[in-house]
Amino acid sequence: MTAGPFTIALAGNPNVGKSTLFNALTGSRQHVGNWPGKTVEKKEGRTTINGRDIVVVDLPGTYSLAAHSVEEIIARDFIICERPQVIIVVVDAANLERNLYLACQILELETPAVLALNMSDEAHKRGVHLDPQALSAALGGIPVVETVGSRGIGLDALKAAIQTALAGSSQPFHLAYDALIEAGIARLAARIGAYPELTAVYPARWLALKLLEADTGIVAQLEREYPALIGAARTIAQNIAETLGDELEILIADQRYQFIGSVISASVTRTGRAQITPSERIDTILTHRIWGIPLFLALMWVVFQFTANVSAPFVDWIDGVISGPITRWASTLLTALGLGGSWVQSLVTDGIIAGVGGVLVFIPVLTFLYLAIALLEDSGYMARAAFIMDRVMRILGLHGKSFLPLLIGFGCTVPAIYATRTLEHEQDRKLTGFLATFMSCGARLPVYVVFASLFFGARAGNLIFALYLLGIVVAFVTGWIMKHLIYRGQPPHPFVMELPPYRLPTLSSVLRTIRGRIQEFVQRAFTIILACSVIIWLLMALPATLDWRDFNQVSISDSWFGAISGVAAPAFAPAGFGQPEAAGVLLSGFIAKEVIIGTISQIYGGETADEADSSTPSTLADDLREIVYTFGQAAVLTAQEAINILPRTANLLPGVDLPEANFLPLEAETDAASGQMNQALTQAFTPLSAVAFTVFVLLYVPCLTALTAMRLEFGVRWMLYQVVYTAAVAWVGAVAVYQGGLLLGLGGG
Amino acid sequence: MTPTLREVLNYFEKQSRALSLTDLARELHIEPALLQEMIGYWVRKGKLRQVGADSCGSCGCSAGCPLPTTLPRRYELATDNLPTGVGFCPRSGS
Repeated sequence: MTAGPFTIALAGNPNVGKSTLFNALTGSRQHVGNWPGKTVEKKEGRTTINGRDIVVVDLPGTYSLAAHSVEEIIARDFIICERPQVIIVVVDAANLERNLYLACQILELETPAVLALNMSDEAHKRGVHLDPQALSAALGGIPVVETVGSRGIGLDALKAAIQTALAGSSQPFHLAYDALIEAGIARLAARIGAYPELTAVYPARWLALKLLEADTGIVAQLEREYPALIGAARTIAQNIAETLGDELEILIADQRYQFIGSVISASVTRTGRAQITPSERIDTILTHRIWGIPLFLALMWVVFQFTANVSAPFVDWIDGVISGPITRWASTLLTALGLGGSWVQSLVTDGIIAGVGGVLVFIPVLTFLYLAIALLEDSGYMARAAFIMDRVMRILGLHGKSFLPLLIGFGCTVPAIYATRTLEHEQDRKLTGFLATFMSCGARLPVYVVFASLFFGARAGNLIFALYLLGIVVAFVTGWIMKHLIYRGQPPHPFVMELPPYRLPTLSSVLRTIRGRIQEFVQRAFTIILACSVIIWLLMALPATLDWRDFNQVSISDSWFGAISGVAAPAFAPAGFGQPEAAGVLLSGFIAKEVIIGTISQIYGGETADEADSSTPSTLADDLREIVYTFGQAAVLTAQEAINILPRTANLLPGVDLPEANFLPLEAETDAASGQMNQALTQAFTPLSAVAFTVFVLLYVPCLTALTAMRLEFGVRWMLYQVVYTAAVAWVGAVAVYQGGLLLGLGGG
Repeated sequence: MTPTLREVLNYFEKQSRALSLTDLARELHIEPALLQEMIGYWVRKGKLRQVGADSCGSCGCSAGCPLPTTLPRRYELATDNLPTGVGFCPRSGS
């Protein structure tokens, strides 16, 4: 028993404002230390109530008193051993359901208590109204007060309630369990009564309840000295469990929850928006069983319009700056250093600037993609997307959880493969990792943008959307085949998902997300892509005849690059892109998908710099003026394209023909900025073979890093299956598109 | 009438489709917060498992994390020994 001043303890769940209330009660009269032998912080303070000196102890926040954690043990031991005169049970008034389980457990300890309904202002704002009197009646008459610790509201009432509790006028709280359980408690409590040393420490009813619940902490503490008592508890518990048909511990917990449910019904009313939240209203449409999927697809369509078309003016602008002024400046500098026309100039302009610059051009595309994803993620929609697609996955016999790694695959295949660790069965992990490679990662997007913009103009977004859909379809078909032919088994158990409320995305969060991902992209451009660009340039400069006198003087077809590509090229002829250059581009894509764009720039746009250099002499001032002017143009065109998403989306509906904004002619701007690369590509590809090429890029072997991740996660054999399967599917897909297109008269020329 | 703990667990064992916590609460005629508490009981007992985004991002690499999205918190039957609340951030090595 505590001597000297009275001690009161604050107990409650974490984040209920317990410490704020403690501060409000004790002011600056605080001492902070650790609980004996523990690293858990112990806060103690002093206050006075009616001239009485009171010690206030802030117990660690816990969810129960089941002794599962250090905090729970500290809180329980303090209440039992230190015997505070009063316990203030602090609950979050807006979330009473989540706090009453612990409150019940504390009240069952039979220590005088006060219930503080803290943060009651927040509860009122959310339309949650509590009836303290009804609550008090349900909890055995303990004083119940509403408080707002942060503003010191309700402190006087709380102090008055503490005094009432100190007077000991209320009866100990006894939750009424099932009659059979009550009989068991009574029998065991009677036996406990025979041990006065136990009843001196523990309330007999509480100890009986804990022993019947088989509380590990209490049982371990008493097992050695009181084996007969523990044995009796086990026998009683077993008899009750056999009669009632379940474990006694579960039955007791269950009756606590039933009790909490009845307390909530009797003392809590919800008004206004608290009945159905705005998020729930939105979810009735967005996660609707039938409409949810078409709405998801429509939203994705808008995302790809946004990504491909809105970013296009800035892609052209960066392209213009890199292939124009920057290349000219580099050439001028190298000429000034006496290296003009040498292999060094070729390496810098045709190799490094064309390769790395060709990739950096797509920063706007990825910025807009990640902006769209960040907005969807921050708003809370992404969680819904996973939820909606779970149903589709199940229809196809796949595990619902597989969608989440697949969703991640739209960003990058590598983390998608690691994300399969959340799946419990190895076969699900392997299968999902296998399918994740068909989700079109961010690195593939620039390739689509190049071909879609060049061959389909304003309809580029449609092709890109179709490619993303194709990836999903191929993944689902593959999954369905594998699940039904290779991995037959029981359907997976469902899950319950906690959908976060919708909220307005914050600018800082969105910008942080974009910055992080773009930084990574730029980092890759200056490491992997730079290295690959140099290697590709070297292969294109080295003559296949090994005659070093022809170094950097040979055509692509006579270079090592041409020789290697020429071996693979015939295999792609049925798909409409059997040129060695195209084959070489695809071979380079094994390393990383971004390399494809770098290689395309080097092969098809390699002479642009030279031409720009020789045909358009200009001063530094001219260049800077041009950069600023074209930036302004790009900004206007971006706004125009953003506005045009609306009419373009609406015009998909039959009978709708809304006009599009046309401040500046987009085609003229594009033509001005497009260089020899576009001309070379239109000569090398037809619209049909371009589509076949992008289909191949979508489906074929993921990058080297993804294959490494696959080897680490699933083994070499599985990785090799992946290489062979994806290459085969990509080839079949590209050939089917090209040959099918020819059959339909879509033309190869 | 509040559903029993067993009824809550039975949903996870017998139903064939995923639900949001709110939908399940509506189906079982219970306040979502109380349902979450009852699910929490089964999580503590090891019968259910909580999987979700809570642990992702805790590795301190969230700014440059390539994951395009965090995962919503989900509850499912714990049918093996995977630890609860497991994260998978590849950079944290978890």
